[in-house]
Amino acid sequence: MKHLSPDKERILAGKAFDIRRLCLEFITCAGWGHIGGSFSEAELLACLYGGVMNIEPRTVDDPSRDRFILSKAHASPALYAILALEGFISEDRLFTYCRLEGLDGHTQRGQCPGIEYSGGSLGTGLSYATGLALGLRLQENFASRVYCLIGDGECNEGQVWEAAMSAAHYRLDNLIALIDYNKVMAKGKVSDLLAIEPLAQKFASFGWSVIECDGHDLADAWRAFYQAKYLEMKGRPVAIIAHTVKGRGLPEAEFNYHWHTHAPSVAQAENFLIELNRTYERNGRFSRPLSSPKDAGLEDVVSADLNPA
Amino acid sequence: MKLAYSSKALREVFGETLVELGGNHKRLLVLDADLNTSSRTVLFKQKYPDRFIQCGIAEANLFGVAAGLAAQGYTPFPSTFAAFATRKALDQVYVNIAYPNLDVKIAGSYCGMTATECGPSHNCAEDLAVMRSLPHLKVLDPGDNRELRAMMHAMMAKPGPVYFRVSKVNAPELFGADHSFEFGRGHLLRPGNDVTLVGTGFMTAVALGAATLLDREGISAAVVHMPSIKPIDEDLLVQQARATGALVTIENHRVFGGLGGAVSEVLAREYPVHIEMLGLSDTVFEAAPLADLLRHYQLTPRAMCEKARALVQRKRRASAA
Repeated sequence: MKHLSPDKERILAGKAFDIRRLCLEFITCAGWGHIGGSFSEAELLACLYGGVMNIEPRTVDDPSRDRFILSKAHASPALYAILALEGFISEDRLFTYCRLEGLDGHTQRGQCPGIEYSGGSLGTGLSYATGLALGLRLQENFASRVYCLIGDGECNEGQVWEAAMSAAHYRLDNLIALIDYNKVMAKGKVSDLLAIEPLAQKFASFGWSVIECDGHDLADAWRAFYQAKYLEMKGRPVAIIAHTVKGRGLPEAEFNYHWHTHAPSVAQAENFLIELNRTYERNGRFSRPLSSPKDAGLEDVVSADLNPA
Repeated sequence: MKLAYSSKALREVFGETLVELGGNHKRLLVLDADLNTSSRTVLFKQKYPDRFIQCGIAEANLFGVAAGLAAQGYTPFPSTFAAFATRKALDQVYVNIAYPNLDVKIAGSYCGMTATECGPSHNCAEDLAVMRSLPHLKVLDPGDNRELRAMMHAMMAKPGPVYFRVSKVNAPELFGADHSFEFGRGHLLRPGNDVTLVGTGFMTAVALGAATLLDREGISAAVVHMPSIKPIDEDLLVQQARATGALVTIENHRVFGGLGGAVSEVLAREYPVHIEMLGLSDTVFEAAPLADLLRHYQLTPRAMCEKARALVQRKRRASAA
């Protein structure tokens, strides 16, 4: 559908909120995780899994599904959360995040349904997505599209531009790159650390169609996806530059690189839930009592063996 | 032997020593790839902002730029996670730095399993093997804070490429204030007759713990600490092989081509003896906190004690036969 109906928008807004709430819960319990980049992509994931992409738990292995590649794989919490909300995995599984035998801090291909790509080394996802898109075309699969979500700081990596050159060269109009342009990297602002502007012109000059949108405005993001799927010139890959806010929804975390990799304490998480409820005018509650992990190191392991209780 | 553990992580000493060296060496530069508050090069950035170069999330470029700066007479310290310095920028490290023998000091932080929750993409169990196989490059893994500082002083005094490991681990205090570091020199920390336990980096603490457990069983274990993996202390290895006839190595690394590999290469040639290696097997360091990883991958004093006991028994059976 071309326009997002008010009912559908309410549903997607609920999902974006629940992504943030769940991330807060299981990141707190893991004592580690990426809040900033998960919160900036929440609306984009709500749209992708809420109707833009042709994928659901029952078709997770269907060759005609759409493929999603999270190149900024450190922001895996939001992806795990939407996979749980959509029924690909259980909510309990989220609480194995960063535990042995659990969900990895960065996505691992095949670790759970819906994870197509092993990531964590930035800049590698768009090449992988290019390979998928090329493979689909070689197999004469014209039904599936490949969506690849890239970070803005990630666009520092030369490989992103090698992939951009390749995808345009091979005329991969079944490939849509999404840039989560949240303006902040791990240790500072993109514009201070290594500027990427003019980003839209860069992609355009590489032969891509470029669409910009507000990545937190569901109707605007939905419009951008529709345009990318149906209106752009054939024979070109499409880049959607989604303008977002790192840590969106938590005043303390917004545009704050301190919350790139950082887990809140239980008390902080409770305050953050209050802030989230205030920002999104909701009454969300945590699904379970939270607890932070104990901090054990080398000394604990050595002394446990030498002085058994 | 009861060890005190430092309240200061190795990475903090790395940052502080950069600041210290930067005072005397005006041509020392620090290069970062968007990780300075993690690696702790941020301390140098705060003190000498003009000699701190932010390269962004672009590791191939980071090492290429470092090489160019070295050719221009500087001593650059490009720093990123070990995974990215080795797996991601290997071509630049080989072609632009190691092979032309340029004065670049590469700090691989979050080495081995110490990227912990980041999981297999950031944990790096192959850096020693990869870097050890490159020409001219020296490869080091410090055991404690004093050794890391001494190591950094030594590398500033000797031009040429170096790869050294840094982590966020709080290491045991192995050495006193007078400790010095020399390339290619290891340390016999504890004498013993039945077996020699060889550690590198903070894993030497596990070897010392294992020696204590073996001692309780009546097995006399020597402990060697090997901070310089390339060049390695061949004389000390041969001496211990002769004296004990059995060695067990332990490393925060896969058992392919790291410390165990280096020790085996020397002894296979000079004095073959029974060898066992502890480290990661043919798999990856999954995402989990450090203590869970050490236990899961059997890199504990107890596990090393069991390996060593079995090896001593094998040695005794072989010599009785």
